[in-house]
Amino acid sequence: MIADTWHLYNKYLIISLRMPLWSLFSLIQPLLWLFIFTALFSNFAQLPGFPGDTYLDYFLPGVLMMTVLFGSSWSGVSLLREINSGTVDKLLVSPISRASIVLSRVLHSASQVVAQALIVLAVAWMLGANFSWHPLNLFLILSIMLLLGIAFACLSNGFAILSQREEPLVIMGNMMTLPLMFFSSAMVPEAFMPEWIQTAALVNPVEYGVDALRAVLTKEINTELFLQGFFVTLAITLAALFWAISAFKGLRD
Amino acid sequence: MISIKGLKKTYLSGATAVNGVDLEIGAGEILALLGPNGAGKTTTIKVATTLSGFDEGEVLVASHNVDSAPELVRQAIGYVAQETGIDYFLTGRENMRLQGQLYHMTKSDIRQRIDELSQYFKINDALDNLVSTYSGGNRRKLDIACALIHRPKVLFLDEPTLGLDTQSRQDLWRYIRRINEDLGLTILLTTHYLEEADKLAHKVAIINQGQIKIIDTPLALKQSIQGDVVSISFVNESTENQTFFWNLKTQDYVKDASWEGNNLHIYVTNGPQAIPKIMEAAHEALIEIGQISFSQPSLDDVFIRYTGASLNSKSEDGGEQWWEKWAGKAGPNNKWAKKWQQENNTDENWQQKQKTPSQAPVEQWQNNNDASSNTEFTGKEKTQSTNSIETEKKTAAPVKSTSEQNENWQDQAEKWQNSPGEWANQWKENKDDLSQAWKTAPQEGKSSDDETQKGSVGTADPTDAASKQAWDKNASQWQKKSDD
Repeated sequence: MIADTWHLYNKYLIISLRMPLWSLFSLIQPLLWLFIFTALFSNFAQLPGFPGDTYLDYFLPGVLMMTVLFGSSWSGVSLLREINSGTVDKLLVSPISRASIVLSRVLHSASQVVAQALIVLAVAWMLGANFSWHPLNLFLILSIMLLLGIAFACLSNGFAILSQREEPLVIMGNMMTLPLMFFSSAMVPEAFMPEWIQTAALVNPVEYGVDALRAVLTKEINTELFLQGFFVTLAITLAALFWAISAFKGLRD
Repeated sequence: MISIKGLKKTYLSGATAVNGVDLEIGAGEILALLGPNGAGKTTTIKVATTLSGFDEGEVLVASHNVDSAPELVRQAIGYVAQETGIDYFLTGRENMRLQGQLYHMTKSDIRQRIDELSQYFKINDALDNLVSTYSGGNRRKLDIACALIHRPKVLFLDEPTLGLDTQSRQDLWRYIRRINEDLGLTILLTTHYLEEADKLAHKVAIINQGQIKIIDTPLALKQSIQGDVVSISFVNESTENQTFFWNLKTQDYVKDASWEGNNLHIYVTNGPQAIPKIMEAAHEALIEIGQISFSQPSLDDVFIRYTGASLNSKSEDGGEQWWEKWAGKAGPNNKWAKKWQQENNTDENWQQKQKTPSQAPVEQWQNNNDASSNTEFTGKEKTQSTNSIETEKKTAAPVKSTSEQNENWQDQAEKWQNSPGEWANQWKENKDDLSQAWKTAPQEGKSSDDETQKGSVGTADPTDAASKQAWDKNASQWQKKSDD
C-alpha cells in the first residue's frame, strides 16, 4: 500500500512541478484576505481586551487556515475529473490497494498546502508579523497544516464520490471556507463574539485548527492549547480519512 | 479464457443491466460484443474486469473467479476503456512506467517492456513528449501499450476506435489483429462499428436487453440472411402497415421480414424481382411508401434481425452514470412524477405524447442515416448495391456521404434521440409555437445535412412546405388523440 501510494503521489508531484503556477493559484485568495483584513481591522487591536499587539499577529493563524481551506477543498473536483476521464477505472482494474488511490490524492493536496503555508508565512513576516521561526515551531505549524490539509481534502473527495457532480461540490467547497472561518476565532477574538457563535465555534473543526496554530505561532508555545487543538485535529483527520476511503471503496458496486 | 454463466445485474435504481448473459471465449479468440446502448455491453465488461459487482451468475476470467479472486483476475487482464485513462501531463514513458509500477513490476522489467512495446506500436519517437501533444491514434496506441505492459493474457477493449479518423482506425485494427496473432492474446471488445466487428472478430455476439441473442462468426451470421434486403419506409404510420407486414410474410418470395421502428426490412431471394411485387402489394393495400431500397445483407441487417434496431441510431451507453442515479431520485419513480403520470392517465398515454411530436423527425433522420451507411459499405466493402427508387420527394434521403460526415450525422441523430422528452414538453405547453420548435431543432442537423447532399437524390429539408404539411397533419392527429 505504501509503495502504491508513493508511486501515485509521485505522479501528482510530477504534474504539479510541471505546472507550478497552477498549484499556487489557490494561494491568491488567502494572500488577498491577508492584505485586506489586516488593513481593514488594524484599529481593532487598540480595543480594550484585544489579545495580541497587532491585528496581523492575531489574524495570521486565520490566514493559514484559509490557505488550507482554499487549497484542499477543491481536491474532489479533480477526483471527479479523473473518474470521468477513466483514470480511476484504469487504477481500479490494476491490483493496487484501493486506499492508496485516496491516500495519494489527499497527501498531494496536503503537501501543496504545506508549500503554500511557507509562502504565506514569508509574506506575513515581510509585512511585519511577529512570530517565531524556531524549527520546532515551524515543524509543529506545518504538521498541523498537513493534518488539516488531509482532513479537508478527504471531506472534499468524499463529497465528490457521494454527489458524483461538480455543482454540489462547489457549493460544499464554498460552505467549507468562509462560513467556517467566521464561526471561529480566526478573525474575531472570542470575547468579541456573540454567545451563540461562541457555542457554534465549539463544534467547528476550524476553531481547533486555529487554536493549535495560534498556540505554536507565539514564541512561547502554549502547550495545553496546542495539544488540545492537535488531538482534536488528528481525530478529525483520521475520521475524514476513514470516511473518504470507505466512500471510495463503495464507488463501484 | 473467459467464461460467463447466467450473469445478472440490477442497478440500485432498479434498471436491469444484464439479465442472464452467457459467454464463452476460447484462448486466443477475438470476440466482438455488439449491441444497442443499454443492452449490457459495458456492464458485462465492467463485471469481467472487476470494476463492477453483480447479483447472480459465475464469471471466470483466465480461470480465476472474478468474485472470489479479483486480485488474480486483475493481474491477468489488460483494460482499455472508452475514455483514455492516460495522463495528459505525463510523457508516454512516464505513463507506461507508472502502469508498470501499479502492477508491481521490477524497474528493469518495466524498462525492457517500455522499449519493446514502444517499438512494437511505433511510438518510440514520441515517447518522451507529453501525451497532450499526441495525435488521437497515438494516444490510443499508448493506451493499449500501457494495458499490455504486465503481459496480460486477456485484453478488454471498450470501443477501441471511437472517435478516430478512418486512417487511424484502420491502423489500429492492424495492431489489434497483430497483438492477437503475435501474443496469442484473448480479446473481448465492444464496438459500435459493424465494420470493426466484421474485420476484427473471430466471433460476434449480439446482445440485446441484457441477453446474448446469438454468437457466431461474422460470415455465418451474414450467410444466415441470404439474398437481398429490401427496406421500406412508410409515409404514414397506421395499422394497415401491420396488416401489410403480415401479408408480406405469407408471400412465397419473402423469406422473412422485420421492423426497425417505422422501417420495414424484407429479406428476399432477389431484390430487383421482389420490388415490383412489393410495390404492387402496397398499392393494392393503399399504402404510401416513402422510400424503398435494396442491398445485400450486411452485419447491420443481422443486427436488425436480432434486436429490431439499427446500430447507427443510439444514445450513450455506460452502466449507471451519475445522471441516471439522479434521474432515479428525481425520475419516473419520484412521487411527483408518478402523480403527474396518473393525472395524465397511463404510461401508454405518456409514451404517445412523447412519440407524436418527436418521433417523426427522428425517424426521418434514421432513414437518412441508414441510407447513407448502406452506401458507405458500397464504397468500401465487397459488392453491395443500393438502389433508391423514389416515390415521394419529401422523405427522400441523401444517398452519398463520406464516413466522417456519416458520423457527424450519427451525432446529430443521437442528439435528436436524446431530446424527445423536451420536445414533448414544448409540444404540450404551447401547441401553437410548434412550427417554431420544428424550425429550430431540425436546423441544428441541417448544416451537416447540407454538406452531405452532394449527389443526393432529394432532400429532407425539414423546413420545406411539404414536410410542414406532414407535420401539421401529425399535429392534428395528436390533438385528436389527446382529446380522446
